[in-house]
Amino acid sequence: MDFLPFFDHRTFASVYLWLESTRISWVMNNIRWAWPICESIHFIGLSLLLGTVGFFDLRLLGFARRVPMAAFHRLIPIGITGFVMNALTGFCFLAGTPDQYLINPAFQAKVVLLAVAGFNVSAFYLTMFRRVRRVGPGEQAPLFARIIGGVSLCSWIGVMTAGRLLTFYRPSFYIPPN
Amino acid sequence: MTPLAIFPYTEWIERSGLSRWIREDSLWAFPIILILHTVGLAFLVGANVALDARILGVGRGVPLASMLPFFRAMWLGFWVNAVSGVLLLAAYPTKAVTNPLFYVKLALIAIGLAHAESIRREVLRNPSFGGTDGPGASRLLAASALACWLAAVTAGRLLAYTYSYLMAYEGR
Repeated sequence: MDFLPFFDHRTFASVYLWLESTRISWVMNNIRWAWPICESIHFIGLSLLLGTVGFFDLRLLGFARRVPMAAFHRLIPIGITGFVMNALTGFCFLAGTPDQYLINPAFQAKVVLLAVAGFNVSAFYLTMFRRVRRVGPGEQAPLFARIIGGVSLCSWIGVMTAGRLLTFYRPSFYIPPN
Repeated sequence: MTPLAIFPYTEWIERSGLSRWIREDSLWAFPIILILHTVGLAFLVGANVALDARILGVGRGVPLASMLPFFRAMWLGFWVNAVSGVLLLAAYPTKAVTNPLFYVKLALIAIGLAHAESIRREVLRNPSFGGTDGPGASRLLAASALACWLAAVTAGRLLAYTYSYLMAYEGR
């Protein structure tokens, strides 16, 4: 099954070569606990992200309405920390076995969903953040902010879903021509 | 490979219709259960991260009692994971029950839940705190709860790399 069928191993052959030549790639493939430790960090990061950004989205959607938005927004740096942890460990996985990711349809879907989340969060801070900051206890967020919250929550859950599907869509290993 | 005393029992589960269905017959059962287990984890541990961070002093302007609904999300995540966890156990019982880390994970979850319940009763519902920060003891409780949950996630993740037996009498 293809998600982005115009990409195949040949498209990324030079990217594979570069990623596999990095020290990170060597560590991931030769240090026994490197991969499991990165996996654990990846799941802790995911929990930090959903626990703060995800619950901020839920609050936008009307959950726990007595929580004041400006004060709750102070938890967002924890979510950003989680995201950075996951970007770093995610790069480690990618460098470890690049040919198992770049043409993997689940990986491609994950990248698209990450881009959706990224555009969505930019839209939030550019348009709604100042108004949302003033949403106090018991008050409802404006409609557009609620839509952004819904898109955010769906895209992060989608990112997790695509991430879990990676193993089931692994492509064949790339064998370089001679 | 030495067969363990538990193998006849786990083999019986592995030969059951449900176990075979999740493991072999259905293309989608296993991935869907795994996805539910991950999303459930995110809500269960995520709700606790937010609660514990707040008690530890992040976002002090959030009244503690206003976070009580987080417990509903937490318990929803917990039950999704209890059910999906039992199904994963049904698919590969030998793999789990022969790994000591599996029991460490279950114990950490139990301790984490006990902490969360204490936090709900003694910190969030404590009228004497009146929306302000609790005493040092509640911060200690929150720190210890957070440590339990992050350790439980780590133990769960490491199960995929530390098992000794995948199935009873494999290959026979």
